[in-house]
Amino acid sequence: MIEIKNLTKVFSQTKALDNVNLKVGRGEIFAFLGPNGAGKTTTVKIMSGIIMPTSGCCLVYGKDVVKDVLAVKKEIAYIPDEPFVYNKLSGYEFLRFIGDIYNIDVDFQKKEIPKLLEMFDLSKEGDELLESYSHGMRQKLLIAAVLLRKPRVILFDEPTVGLDPKSIKKFKNLLHELASKGTIIFMCTHILEMAEKLCTKAAIINSGRIIAEGSIDELKRKGSSGGGEKQSLEDAFLKITEG
Amino acid sequence: MFILLCRRKILSLKNKILHFSRWEIIKNIVFISVGTALLSLLYYGFWRLLNYLENVEVIGPVLSWKLTGMVLLITFAMIVVSSIIISMTTLYYSSDLKFLFSCPIKMRFLFMDKSMDTIFYSSWTLMLAILPYIIALARVKNFGILFYISYFAAIIPFIMIAAAFGILFSMVIMYLFPSSRTRDITWIIGSLSVGFVYVLFRFSRPERLIRPNALEVVAQYINYLQSPTAEYLPSWWLTKGMMSFASGHWGDFALYFFYLLSVSIMVYVFIIWLSEKFYQKGFSGAQSGVKFRGNRSDFFEQKLSTKIGFLKEIFIVVWKDRLLFLRDARYWTQIVLIVSLILVYLFSIKQLPLDSQNIKSLVSFLNVGVAGFVIAAINLRFVFPAVSLEGKSYWILRSSPVKTETLMAAKLIVSGVPAMLVAVILVFFSNKLLEADFFISFLTFATIIISSIVVSVMAIGIGAIFPDFSMENIHQIESSYGGFLYMACAMGYFALVVGLESWPVQMHFAQIYGRPNAWDFEIVSFCLIFFIILNLTAVLIPWKMGVRNLKKHEI
Repeated sequence: MIEIKNLTKVFSQTKALDNVNLKVGRGEIFAFLGPNGAGKTTTVKIMSGIIMPTSGCCLVYGKDVVKDVLAVKKEIAYIPDEPFVYNKLSGYEFLRFIGDIYNIDVDFQKKEIPKLLEMFDLSKEGDELLESYSHGMRQKLLIAAVLLRKPRVILFDEPTVGLDPKSIKKFKNLLHELASKGTIIFMCTHILEMAEKLCTKAAIINSGRIIAEGSIDELKRKGSSGGGEKQSLEDAFLKITEG
Repeated sequence: MFILLCRRKILSLKNKILHFSRWEIIKNIVFISVGTALLSLLYYGFWRLLNYLENVEVIGPVLSWKLTGMVLLITFAMIVVSSIIISMTTLYYSSDLKFLFSCPIKMRFLFMDKSMDTIFYSSWTLMLAILPYIIALARVKNFGILFYISYFAAIIPFIMIAAAFGILFSMVIMYLFPSSRTRDITWIIGSLSVGFVYVLFRFSRPERLIRPNALEVVAQYINYLQSPTAEYLPSWWLTKGMMSFASGHWGDFALYFFYLLSVSIMVYVFIIWLSEKFYQKGFSGAQSGVKFRGNRSDFFEQKLSTKIGFLKEIFIVVWKDRLLFLRDARYWTQIVLIVSLILVYLFSIKQLPLDSQNIKSLVSFLNVGVAGFVIAAINLRFVFPAVSLEGKSYWILRSSPVKTETLMAAKLIVSGVPAMLVAVILVFFSNKLLEADFFISFLTFATIIISSIVVSVMAIGIGAIFPDFSMENIHQIESSYGGFLYMACAMGYFALVVGLESWPVQMHFAQIYGRPNAWDFEIVSFCLIFFIILNLTAVLIPWKMGVRNLKKHEI
């Protein structure tokens, strides 16, 4: 599981995260919501070991991201919102590179990579350079790279940007499948409709502070005016962040 | 609309300057001071040369104008070639082009905006580099302020005409063959031409110009001096304009200035008219990727990584970097230039007028310093930027369980080993050409192997202290403050190495000249210990600081 305790991050004079506390359990699909600049990306970057917190800690299955960053990195997969990849590698080579870096058995890689390329409709372009891939194709390739590794925690930052409707559908099914096998999915998104349908729990962050947390239904209730009317997560989000 | 496009550049520059931090102001002041010092040195060299030429009896003034004509012709050719290379990027691959093309801007204004970038980027360094020459010329010939005014008025159309060649070439070639492969081929042809001209120029032994007796017939030499240097090119018009100005022939000056101005206006009117028809198609075509079919067999490093397990991660990053290196045409162009550099270097060594065996050996020893400078410069281009060149893809390795040290070691292997190979070639063949004795050959060979490894580690270390993953090209990385610091450290290191080794070398020559007890082994031991300490310091400090900084670096 993931445990974030009193996490604070200060950039120069700006407090990007202010005493953030969160818990995400095994097999949960967790939505991390918030307006632009709220601190979502900073949080996932700290969780993935890309940047270090100013204070506080983040434990991934008991391993501290500050004290044991390499061990945490082995457990976690991170997909950023901008899928920057090595433009002069082919799709197949990129997946081999990721497989090698994460110490995946070579025979398994050779068997699995063609299947993954097929799964994401990239078989035809698998041997072409990534500079010719579109944004969506790169995003799919990164998801394929995650599946090759089978990590215990996956951090997504706006995962569906650039994906076509068919791929989004496939992606959603995939998340359910992974979560059912115990993988923790932590997802930053602005697509509240997707978060509402897909996620089991969510937290809302604003100006670096967690302002609401709980199951999707709990968040909807928190955002309601008390009249008992049925409202969407989007309405609740707007009320909570504006209030 | 064009004014609006220009205003955005002025505004960006203004904001950048106004928001300089104190640290950035200090860095800029240091940078400008060192740059000015280097230009002053260049000025001093030119002044000495022009002063010497001017005072040669009878033909002195003709000689200095001949040299000016050649300098301007070379400058013109260099701007043409660099505008070909640069216009491919500015006109078709600038990061803001997709946005600008989506805006309701007339094609000609967009083209003019990017042409201005091309003119500026392809000429500013050359203009700065010939400025000391022009100042030295003005001083030697006692010209006043009016000369500078006329020079600056005439140099602008001169630069514009030179850059127009590149702009026109890129636009036509991209229109005819609209693909990103065209850019790669143009870059390679461009660098091959530069390399070829460079080698040819050196092989033609221009030093004969200041040694008239080298030519068999003096009359032939004087004829050569008086003949125009490429009379139909703007470089000759500019030279003639300056000559006319100097001799007070205002009518001739006005005529040559008119040539420059009218040709530049005509060329740009034509190019801008053509851009309405050609630019859009070329830009669209440039966005199409190159068809590439890779194969799926294992790479050499992948096979090796399964056999040598503890180096596995290094081998993995090495195969990735090797592929990226070999598939990027920008690096091929650099390699072409380095091969030219090696050829010219060895040719210059061969041409040195040395007769005594001992002088040859001494020059072989001093050659370590020169080769060291060349290696430091090559490292600045290839090794120092290695970490930063991970670019925006750095998140992949940063979020992976690859240690920072492993990443840096892999970069060292991919970029440092070829640099070491160049160093070994330079020193080995220089020693052969100079027929250096065994002691000097051994000492210089061992030194260059150790030193090239040390400066490569230093380059990776300092590159990791000053990483910049947002830079778009190598030139920006190497001309950064980190690049400047690296060059200063590497030069200082080579100065210390040569200084330190000069003691045992002195003893070696003393022995050759028959001095009894020439060797003082206490001093030799001191040199050896200091050499070890120097190398360890030059390796460990930048490396450790680089590792620590890269671990802390946030993206």
